[in-house]
Amino acid sequence: MSSQHHAAPVAPPDQSRAAVAAVDLVKVYGSGDTAVRALDGVTVGFGRAEFTAIMGPSGSGKSTLMHCLAGLDSATSGQALLGGTDLTRQSDRALTTVRRERIGFVFQSFNLLPQLTAAQNITLPLDLAGQRPDRDLYAHLVDVLGIGDRLGHRPSELSGGQQQRVALARALVSRPEVVFADEPTGNLDSRSGAEVLSFLRDSVRDLGQTIVMVTHDPTAAAYADRAVLLADGRIAGDLARPDHASVTEALHRLVATR
Amino acid sequence: MRATVLRTQLSGVARRPSRLLLTGLAVLVASFVVFAAVLAQQITARTVEATAASTPAATDLVVGDPEGTPVGVDVLRELRDLPGVAEAAGRLDSGLALGESGGGYLGLHADPGTGPLALARVVQGSYPDAANEIAVTPRTAERMGLTVGTVTTTGSGTPTGPVKLTVTGVVESDDDGGQDAYAPDLIATALGGTDLLSQIDLRLTPGASPTAVRTQVDGILAAVAQPERPVVRTGAQARAAEAELAVARLGPVFALVGMFISIAVAAAALVATSTFRIVFAQRMRQLALLRAIGANRGRLAGALAVEGALTGLVAGTVGVTIALVLGHALPVLLRAFDLTVSSPGLPLAAALAVIAGATLVTLVAVLAPAFGAARVAPLEALRAASTTSGRRDIGAIRLVGGLLLAAGAALLAGLVVTRLPGPEPVDYNPQTPLLMIVISGTLAFFALVTLGPVLVRPVLWLVGWPLRRLGPVGRLAVGGIGGAPRRAAAVSVVVALGVTLIAGVLVGGSSMRVLGERELAVSAPADFEVTAAAGTTLPAAVVEAARGRGEIRNLTPYRRLDGLALSRTGDPAPIGEGGETLDATDLVLSGLPEVRKLDVRSGRVADLGPGRVVLAGYVTWDTGLRAGDAITLTREQRKIDVRVAAVLPGATPLMSGVVLDPADLDRLGAPAGYAGLLADAARSGEDGRSAAQKALRQVTEGSTGLGLTVLADKRDEINGLVDTLLGIAIGLVGLTVLIAVVGVGATTALSVVERVRESGLLRAVGLSRGGLRFMLTTEASLYGLIGATLGLLLGVPYAWLSIEALGANAPLRFPALPLAALFLALVALTAVAGLLPARRASRVSPVTALATDT
Repeated sequence: MSSQHHAAPVAPPDQSRAAVAAVDLVKVYGSGDTAVRALDGVTVGFGRAEFTAIMGPSGSGKSTLMHCLAGLDSATSGQALLGGTDLTRQSDRALTTVRRERIGFVFQSFNLLPQLTAAQNITLPLDLAGQRPDRDLYAHLVDVLGIGDRLGHRPSELSGGQQQRVALARALVSRPEVVFADEPTGNLDSRSGAEVLSFLRDSVRDLGQTIVMVTHDPTAAAYADRAVLLADGRIAGDLARPDHASVTEALHRLVATR
Repeated sequence: MRATVLRTQLSGVARRPSRLLLTGLAVLVASFVVFAAVLAQQITARTVEATAASTPAATDLVVGDPEGTPVGVDVLRELRDLPGVAEAAGRLDSGLALGESGGGYLGLHADPGTGPLALARVVQGSYPDAANEIAVTPRTAERMGLTVGTVTTTGSGTPTGPVKLTVTGVVESDDDGGQDAYAPDLIATALGGTDLLSQIDLRLTPGASPTAVRTQVDGILAAVAQPERPVVRTGAQARAAEAELAVARLGPVFALVGMFISIAVAAAALVATSTFRIVFAQRMRQLALLRAIGANRGRLAGALAVEGALTGLVAGTVGVTIALVLGHALPVLLRAFDLTVSSPGLPLAAALAVIAGATLVTLVAVLAPAFGAARVAPLEALRAASTTSGRRDIGAIRLVGGLLLAAGAALLAGLVVTRLPGPEPVDYNPQTPLLMIVISGTLAFFALVTLGPVLVRPVLWLVGWPLRRLGPVGRLAVGGIGGAPRRAAAVSVVVALGVTLIAGVLVGGSSMRVLGERELAVSAPADFEVTAAAGTTLPAAVVEAARGRGEIRNLTPYRRLDGLALSRTGDPAPIGEGGETLDATDLVLSGLPEVRKLDVRSGRVADLGPGRVVLAGYVTWDTGLRAGDAITLTREQRKIDVRVAAVLPGATPLMSGVVLDPADLDRLGAPAGYAGLLADAARSGEDGRSAAQKALRQVTEGSTGLGLTVLADKRDEINGLVDTLLGIAIGLVGLTVLIAVVGVGATTALSVVERVRESGLLRAVGLSRGGLRFMLTTEASLYGLIGATLGLLLGVPYAWLSIEALGANAPLRFPALPLAALFLALVALTAVAGLLPARRASRVSPVTALATDT
């Protein structure tokens, strides 16, 4: 079955179309005998205004791929392109600016600052950049996410679902080129999770937002336009219009080949 | 099970030794300070012991004791003739008046001048060997013009009447006050008109049996009737007694040092409590897990307490060791610079006591956090996010307790305020009010500890506004502190304690300095004073000659007039009881720089002029006279109406009740002659002063009845004393500040560890490395800002209250510049304390930080 592994369709990184792309990206942790190749030559592109899910079993390298593409982690070799900028060649200072102005994040554990109110958490990246939020977009996000009556509360006073919706607003309010979501539903009950995923899908449709989501949940992947499968640090599959059944089957096949 | 829980904790300590260091750092510093003080006491005592003894080392036997009964010269003569006695030196310290009244004073010391028993060594001329001969010290020769060969006359008031004294030599001795003369014992006793010596030092011939000589000495002394019979000691005993006396004089100083050190230890305990609380909070999930799998609360608390005690043991041992190494290295280093300092010993018992104390203090400090942490619900282990944000409020009991403490402090302070002494306290004992202030201050401090978390937010709101305007990073820093008010309070309170103490010293010192300057402006208005004998005036030629001398400046002659009666204009009743009269001078107050330091109760000294007078404070105490009031001065039949230009808090320079313009003094019928003159040395320093004194002496030579007094030496002495005392006080209270700064550093370091995810998030959403560093450093400086604000709010009023309660009639001062410097220094110091943790935090990659499971 290993032949199929290699024969998996790989989207060519077309830089004019792709918002984010990895070109032969390699990431090695450690050195010598204990070296682990978390990414073993990954080449993949993520289209604009597209909702892509990166899937794979634990240790497949999906989080590492996201971190490299988001300028949070450095790669060992290869390129991580954001709209034509090679993030692997940027200084820490430049990466900080890139993260602040061109990327939005949603985390599994929400990661809101406990000392700030919901509203202050939402505008935090813009505050750091010294910019004012787009009033209309802000109002739209607050309205769609239904957190208008929670803006003055601190994270400890919010439920998990509410905290994640605040985090979503924070990720989108600066109109980033791409939003990276790392297991955004991992800490949520199924209803809150469904709300978050619907919102992500709707923001692609309504706002033209590019979203890359790391998940191991086939239900979550079913909301995406496309699912990229990773195994052992390599691309192991690419599903267009994934649904629960096709994703589950692809994952099963992946596990069976190992 | 107990062992298992303990082992889990201890292996955690072993895995993260930096945490142990951070929690123990304050205790380490405190142990270091305490043991360093023990060693410093030893070094000082040994150094004093080695240098304080004035009996020469060659002395074998000492007859008599300066503190006891004197020894007659007949005993000295008999001792000299004893076989086995090589040398007998009588000791005597007496005084000689020179010239006419007020002509000068010489301290006369009996000394052999040569040989092993000599304390004075001839450097010029020869040592006196005949009656009425003396040798003087170099400074005396310079100051008083007593060069070799000079002949001077002793005062007519001396027991032997006026005799001509010949200066035969200049000698050097350990102690040169500028008015010291030396002569052999019998010449000295003859000059002093006495036949008593304070002690006799004996040196035996080599090979003579000390016991045999001692028996003979005892035989001679047996002739003296018992109450006057002098004691006999060996030279070693005498030296030991002298050293002991010198060391005993240091006792109060070390007691004071001990008091301040105990405050520093208390501060360290507070810091330790706070850091333990943070460390245990960070391990909440682990502790909850232990509870979930069956450890009971008591065991958990016990294990945590043992961990705390272990921390104290390690910190205490390290602190003591560092102090020991430094304590032994320092004297060696100083000796390399030719400073004779003795090495301390190895006080093992004290070292063990300090280590045990450190362990105990840490154990006490860890108890509350340990029991608090053991109360964790087992369910906490299962909570996903570690965002157990600290409580922002305090319990009702704590609130009530804190308010009670504050009320107690206010009540006591209020009581002191109502009992403050007036400007002229009679039989006033400041001890009780001062004790009440200390108790009130302690209560206020504990109220601060208790209510701290509630106070942090308002204070933060107040002092944080410029930071909030600094942009989002500043706002984040303020928010970070405000988000954990309990922690902020715990650290800030320790900073506040240090700032309170230093602010108190600064404010008190400033007041004392003004008080000192006022006293000195009154008692030493100029470097020199030349006075005429009572009832006479200075010859005009003397004043004229003095004017012509370049060695002096600010020459201010003055006249005196007594017998003045004072009344309010239009009210014939004289002020003052039973026809009490005032004396007046026409001293030009603007002429002397020292006098310009006078502070006033009302009015302006500069307004003194024709028709405007300056009054001493005591003149107005019963009458309520103020600047601007119209008064009438009457002397015999003459009467003048004047206004009060200024009222001084105490006496006037030259101690007169009123200072007038010369024209007004004329109108009251004052004679034209000057009663005295004041003058400053033209050049500063010892040389300038000696030259000026010499010039004035030459000017007054030939006129009888003139006295020359050097006022400047006393002023220098008092100023030096005030400076030294302030320096020591600030150094001692600085210990508390040091521990507070260590506490801020430890707290910042620990909270950085705790909030590493938060740092990671901030980095992920676009906060630069520098921004993160700035934020964390700002947070640390905010601890200093809050603490310094609270400290100033407490320290300044308490210092003022203490000054008022002293009843010393000292003015209240607000030394704005030193206090502002203190404030800024604390903010800067705490910021520096946060610098290192901030650097570490900013280096962690955002991915690592976000993945960290605290």
